[in-house]
Amino acid sequence: MTIYSLLPRQVRFESQLAWRHLRSGGGQTWLTIAAVASGVIIVIFIMGLIFGLQRRLTALLTDAIPHVTVQVPEGKPIPYADLPGRLPGTSSSRSEIQAPQRKNIDDWRTVLAVAGTIPNVRAVTPAVAGQGFASKGANPVGVSLIGADPMEQELITPVTKNLIGGHYDGLLADEVVIDFELAKDLNVGVGDRIRITSISGVPEPLRVAGVYSKGQGRGSAYVTLRTGQSMLGIGNSVNVVYVKVFDIYAADAVAERLSALLECEAKSWSSEFPNFVTSLQAQSASAYLISGFTLIASSFAIASVLIVSVQRKAKQIGTLKSIGARSRQILLIFLLEGLGIAIAGSVMGAIAGIAIVSLLSLPKQAVARGGGLPESLFPLILDPVYILAAMGAATTATVLAALLPARSAAKLNPVDAMR
Amino acid sequence: MSGEAGRLVIETVGLKKTYLGKMPTPVLFGIDLRVAAGEFVSIIGQSGSGKSTLLNILGALDVPTEGLVKIDGVDISTLTEDGLAVLRSQVVGFVFQAHFLLDELTCLENAVLPISIRNGSPTLEESAWITSLLVRVGLGGKLHKYPDTMSGGENQRCAIVRALANRPRIVLADEPTGDLDSHTGEEVFRLMRQMSSEIGISFVMVTHDERLARAADRILLIEDGLMRALTKEEKAVGTSPS
Repeated sequence: MTIYSLLPRQVRFESQLAWRHLRSGGGQTWLTIAAVASGVIIVIFIMGLIFGLQRRLTALLTDAIPHVTVQVPEGKPIPYADLPGRLPGTSSSRSEIQAPQRKNIDDWRTVLAVAGTIPNVRAVTPAVAGQGFASKGANPVGVSLIGADPMEQELITPVTKNLIGGHYDGLLADEVVIDFELAKDLNVGVGDRIRITSISGVPEPLRVAGVYSKGQGRGSAYVTLRTGQSMLGIGNSVNVVYVKVFDIYAADAVAERLSALLECEAKSWSSEFPNFVTSLQAQSASAYLISGFTLIASSFAIASVLIVSVQRKAKQIGTLKSIGARSRQILLIFLLEGLGIAIAGSVMGAIAGIAIVSLLSLPKQAVARGGGLPESLFPLILDPVYILAAMGAATTATVLAALLPARSAAKLNPVDAMR
Repeated sequence: MSGEAGRLVIETVGLKKTYLGKMPTPVLFGIDLRVAAGEFVSIIGQSGSGKSTLLNILGALDVPTEGLVKIDGVDISTLTEDGLAVLRSQVVGFVFQAHFLLDELTCLENAVLPISIRNGSPTLEESAWITSLLVRVGLGGKLHKYPDTMSGGENQRCAIVRALANRPRIVLADEPTGDLDSHTGEEVFRLMRQMSSEIGISFVMVTHDERLARAADRILLIEDGLMRALTKEEKAVGTSPS
């Protein structure tokens, strides 16, 4: 009883001979396995690097912004002819458009309820957003103002983790959290008082409760929802509802669903940053292209080694045919040989690739913004899907590479082969 | 075996072979050959006279240009590629001048190879039978040795057992003693003769060795692409093909 007796009869002898070929191949077998493994390592590394970089960039962008923003749609131009109450017999070539200001979402609780029913939605927050000026004495500085419940806003655009000083949680009605750039411009710190005047002209003296930095230029000033509503003079309404989702690449679907269910305009982050998405797609395509070329190159190397192997075994192939082996058995022997190399190379490549990526993930670098934790120097990720895909692609490429020499082996004329 | 005696296992009529190329080269001009079950026939002839070509055609490794070839009663021109493979596996056994054992397999694995090709792996009974044959030919202690650790004679004896593995009707031996010294060659020949009479397998042996050829039941001479049996006088004095 041998291990081969556990295999189906149809592949038993072929498997035994393929295994013996590999075993007797020694250094050549190991070199071929190394070629496959190298391909897998490169693919895992490239995928890990490109998609790791994408994930870091995407996280940097999308962590700091809402994934979907729900607002009342802006007014669209209305042709004069469609205007209600126009004077009979008059015409105009002008289009009328409403003033560029958004309406408020009075029934925002319905928006929250509807959004809560949509799959993939992680958090929903009502907020007020507007522009204003911050000042400390003279020299007012333009500022973007967001009023929201701090705990809920944390789920949308985290502030606390980027705080250099002070606090955001438990923000009081007369407090504001500002970003480092604004604090620098106004020359203020935590505990100082500043004045913020909203676009509606309401000045509000506020105490700086915290200063944060996201390392991405000037950020918003955060106040409580009530303070924001008061400063923008919109009563109990809000003018925006922020949505955070679990799968950021499915944010478009959430936005579409919200737009369909509500009389509101929902925009996903990817529609707000189309160039960013395009560049991600270009990066992904590059990664796939490099991986594809790598596997093709290693396939050629494997095919050439197997072609030489078939030539060296011509007499053996002739012998096998002369004692009854069929062409498909010969084909199977060399395909199984290729499969053995493919599986061994893929597994070893995956192990080595995971080890290399893990090691390269260890070096850390200090982040540019103050107070942040050090990040990996190489933003590599290990995604099981990509690892399995790399192994699958390498195995397929190797078996395909083995097909050519295997077919030529199967076609060998026994008399010519043994001559 | 007595029921088998006289039954033709090889029959060729007007067998011709021409190698086509830039210059077509005719090799066999019309061979009529009949070999009965259990018969031991030797074929002699000059180098290049077409002995090996004839053997390759009889073993379904090559196709004739013209003529009829029946192996075990079957016209091989009617067989598909798979049918030819079955014929090579179960009806015909081959012994070559070089043993052509597979370096990657042990002596026993090489000997059971035709069974493995036919059926995936040998049964316990088949393994026992092949082992007994290997013991009989003096390879009992070499079952798990690889060909590169065995002598030429040992390898050739293993190759003979391999040719017998599927209990074929015919064994075609192409100068099986050509690479061996005279003593080992005789030993190998004696073994084939013994197997032929004991198991009832027909042997067609191409050889340059007149002494061995004369020990066969019949000697056939290929000359100018034609075949004829040696006359009594030729047998008595010996006809050197070279």
